[in-house]
Amino acid sequence: MTEHNNMELPRRQFLSRAAKAGISIVAAGAISYALYDREGPVPGVSAEDLVTLPDFSIPPEDGRTISIVTGSDRTKTVGRAIELLGGLGRFVRKGQTVAIKPNVAFASPPMLGATANPGLVAEVVRLCYAAGAKQVLVTDNPINDPASCFTLSGIAKAATAAGAKVILPKDSLFRYTTLAGGKLIRNWPVYFGPFSKADRLIGISPIKHHHRSGASMTMKNWYGLLGGRRNVFHQDINTIIAELAMMAKPTLVILDGTDVMMTNGPTGGSVSDLKRKNTLIASTDMVAADSFGCSLLDLRPSDLPYLSKAHQAGAGTTDYESLKPKRAKIS
Amino acid sequence: MASAPGRNRRLESAVSILLLVVLFLIALAILVKQADVDMARFGLGAAAQPDSQQAPDLAALTPDGFKELSAPLVYTAGNLYEKINGKAPLYLDAGFLKLFTQRFVSRTDENLWMELYLYDMAGLKNAFSVYSVQKRADVEALATMQFAYETTNALYFVHGRYYVELLGSAESPDLLNAMTSVANSITAGLKVDEEARIPELDLFPTDNLVSGSFKLSLKDTFGFADLTDTFTCRYELNGQSVTAFISTRSDPKNAQKIAVSYCDFLIENDAKPKPTPNETIKKVAAKVFDFYDTTEIVFFLGPYVGGVHEAEDQKTAEEVAVMLINRLTDPHGAWGLTKNPKQ
Repeated sequence: MTEHNNMELPRRQFLSRAAKAGISIVAAGAISYALYDREGPVPGVSAEDLVTLPDFSIPPEDGRTISIVTGSDRTKTVGRAIELLGGLGRFVRKGQTVAIKPNVAFASPPMLGATANPGLVAEVVRLCYAAGAKQVLVTDNPINDPASCFTLSGIAKAATAAGAKVILPKDSLFRYTTLAGGKLIRNWPVYFGPFSKADRLIGISPIKHHHRSGASMTMKNWYGLLGGRRNVFHQDINTIIAELAMMAKPTLVILDGTDVMMTNGPTGGSVSDLKRKNTLIASTDMVAADSFGCSLLDLRPSDLPYLSKAHQAGAGTTDYESLKPKRAKIS
Repeated sequence: MASAPGRNRRLESAVSILLLVVLFLIALAILVKQADVDMARFGLGAAAQPDSQQAPDLAALTPDGFKELSAPLVYTAGNLYEKINGKAPLYLDAGFLKLFTQRFVSRTDENLWMELYLYDMAGLKNAFSVYSVQKRADVEALATMQFAYETTNALYFVHGRYYVELLGSAESPDLLNAMTSVANSITAGLKVDEEARIPELDLFPTDNLVSGSFKLSLKDTFGFADLTDTFTCRYELNGQSVTAFISTRSDPKNAQKIAVSYCDFLIENDAKPKPTPNETIKKVAAKVFDFYDTTEIVFFLGPYVGGVHEAEDQKTAEEVAVMLINRLTDPHGAWGLTKNPKQ
């Protein structure tokens, strides 16, 4: 104990100390306010943190790139379409994990055709297991609330019943990616988790009119891989769809034109928006699949600028006839 | 420790406690904020949230035999895409303010459910525009409302400033009855400007008019960017269906400018001017074009730009154009040029 401690604290000194304490508080508050990050934490986007979606494609085989099957029963047309390309054994090997990415964008009933048909998804799951798949994952990052989308579309129930594991998106499953040569997909969150564990990737999508892009088919289906405020890409919809076709390299895509949404897409709402076309396409070239698919919407490939962009970028060909499509009809 | 004489220990303690409390509050605020990351930035959580303060009482609309399937949600211009994605621009361009949604499910059959979409479009014309451009073909109008129709699984109508969709999960009479009940509750309970009307619809003659064929295109009408706020409708004449159009401009000078620009646009796209023997057409200096084997007619009268779009033959196109011209120039007509609706 010093003598100083026993001395009476002068009033002037007390006020001085109190003032300094007050200034310290204000300064700490001001510094905290200045440093406060209103945007919240942002996952690292340094080069080493960026990921690239795996390449799930398989070597092409001449004359077995695209098949077109007509018929009303999806479980039969999809089986035949895949068979024409060499059977699912060409695409899925024993013990592999297969990720299926159906279009589950909306919390919409299956009857309206705004989402992939649940029976079709279930059949593809079944075929994957029949080909020896160890596990089949079914996932998407929908526009609407994911749980509602998977439930009301009927896809969760159908896929689960067929033995698939349904994965709903969550924060930890997203990473940042940059598409080499891409203009829009740069340091952008991408739905990565389920696909990082998969050996094969199959896309399943309906054919729909789309108010903004003209049509939503297999290429537009990969929009579900994007996180963030992806609606900003609607301002340049043709470029983003073409970039998605460059970013995603699926093993196989299945384009369902059994019931085609001719108007009021992509949400539809009335069964009168649909027209029965009884056509199903399987392809390892999604640009080719969509180039044929748009004919079911009474469009030409030249009506959809994203097709020529993807073609020019090397993602596939708009000249699907050059691939000598395998055709079949199921009565 | 001995206390220094005159030293205010109580005050010092109070200041110290105050400082600790402030530090504790700062730490607490940081922890709370860290736990409150906006997941919507990653596209995971719907930014739309239940909002009982702003929304009409949608739960009160629950029809008999049904219950709420999900919480009511409100969407604004900033997050409308989270609900309807690529269709959002259609609404945003038409003056969209808010969307209120609610799902109802049958108490006896979980497969029977419907979703209500209540779009606040800020005005009757805006609501009519989004209603009309999405209207399904070959549907019967509902007699109970001015702008309403149903399909086998859905019901659509305009109620003042609101555009309403009721979308069912199945083609079910029970579901349609329930939708009608919800629609009736909305029209009875949701207050709107009862006096609001769309005067432009009266500009069109009614003879041979196809009922319910009116559409309002707010921009890019017929692919021409400057042809905005254009009403169209169809006429059945001589066994043909002909589309007529009228756009009300700010003044006669602007109408002339738009009409001339539209004619130039047609010519740039390979339209070929055609002569006409029709005296009425010639009198108002209307332009007649052959446009890929269809007939296009364009005129301006006072503040109006009007005409016929892609008619199968010239004679029928001119008959419809004359009907429009006579209607617009009729001095006794409710909306003749002497009574500009904008005045």
